[in-house]
Amino acid sequence: MADEFIKGFGILTGAGLVWMVLAGWYQTPSFFMTNQLIAPPPEPGNVFDAISIFLIDIFLWTAILGALTFWLLIPAGREAAAALEERRESS
Amino acid sequence: MSENETTDDARTDGGETGIVAPDDEVPTWSERKERKAGLSRLTYEYFERSRREDQDLRNESDYVERDVLGFPTWPHEIIRNLSISMFFVGMIVLIAAALPPSLEAPADPSSTPEIILPDWYLYWSFGLLKLNPLNPGLAVLDGGKLLSDQLYGVLANVVVVGAVALLPYLNKGSARRPVEQPFWASIGVGGAVFSITIAALAVQNLIPLPLPLQLNIVFVFPVVAGIITYAVLKTMREGYMYGLNRRYYMLRPPK
Repeated sequence: MADEFIKGFGILTGAGLVWMVLAGWYQTPSFFMTNQLIAPPPEPGNVFDAISIFLIDIFLWTAILGALTFWLLIPAGREAAAALEERRESS
Repeated sequence: MSENETTDDARTDGGETGIVAPDDEVPTWSERKERKAGLSRLTYEYFERSRREDQDLRNESDYVERDVLGFPTWPHEIIRNLSISMFFVGMIVLIAAALPPSLEAPADPSSTPEIILPDWYLYWSFGLLKLNPLNPGLAVLDGGKLLSDQLYGVLANVVVVGAVALLPYLNKGSARRPVEQPFWASIGVGGAVFSITIAALAVQNLIPLPLPLQLNIVFVFPVVAGIITYAVLKTMREGYMYGLNRRYYMLRPPK
């Protein structure tokens, strides 16, 4: 269980760091406004910008879904499997 | 839980089963009165029992005891601390390089900026000063306010600081773990969450939420967090207290 925690935490912090940097480059018009990291990105000028803007959402959802997977889905699946096993043994 | 079953002598965690002590081991009141030594005898028995359990565990273990009090500073501690500090320095350099904050125009000492904020650790107090939307208008005053908004905010600070100052008199803090006193633990969690939500109210201009929603969050989140904490700790307490009771069963009154 501790392993699953650190896996989820590693994904959350690692992907979150990359998301924060990319969103800071492309979705932050100013550090003195409320729409930091969530402003609509500009039109990509070259292929690197296009890739980066595409990756922003990828990393954001990796951070969220990755952590949820290791903290909720996998433990819940194991609990369910154990419960099923127990029920099958008892019957 | 029969898979965890080892020899009974080596169990020190109270075990999973056998929550209630066997009847023949619980002393009756007459037996207790016959005991001249009383509490000192009980104390001796308790410590002797736990000493014996430790000894049994030590005999079973293959761990080799050496005459050291800890790991040497060099290289063990230094290398670990160096790796930790280098990681954080690296993160600082990385973030500073990747996200350099823009250099704004220099501050103009002749004009007051639009948003004034204290240092971040005083945001909670500053948030309490911004509670003026909650200052009620009274019908008898034709909608006028009994207290000025400024006095209202200062009184809110008095209330919060007073509550914190009162806490040591309400609860001495004898619990070693939150699970031992779920109510006070939930009070503490609620207070910690409130210190964060009220601090967020201080920077309400920077949060993209409508003010009424923010005010609701400020007061609802701590209560929700406290209730969740209470429920979780109350659930955990059963197993924890049973294990503790088994160890201290001699202190329980006989049937």
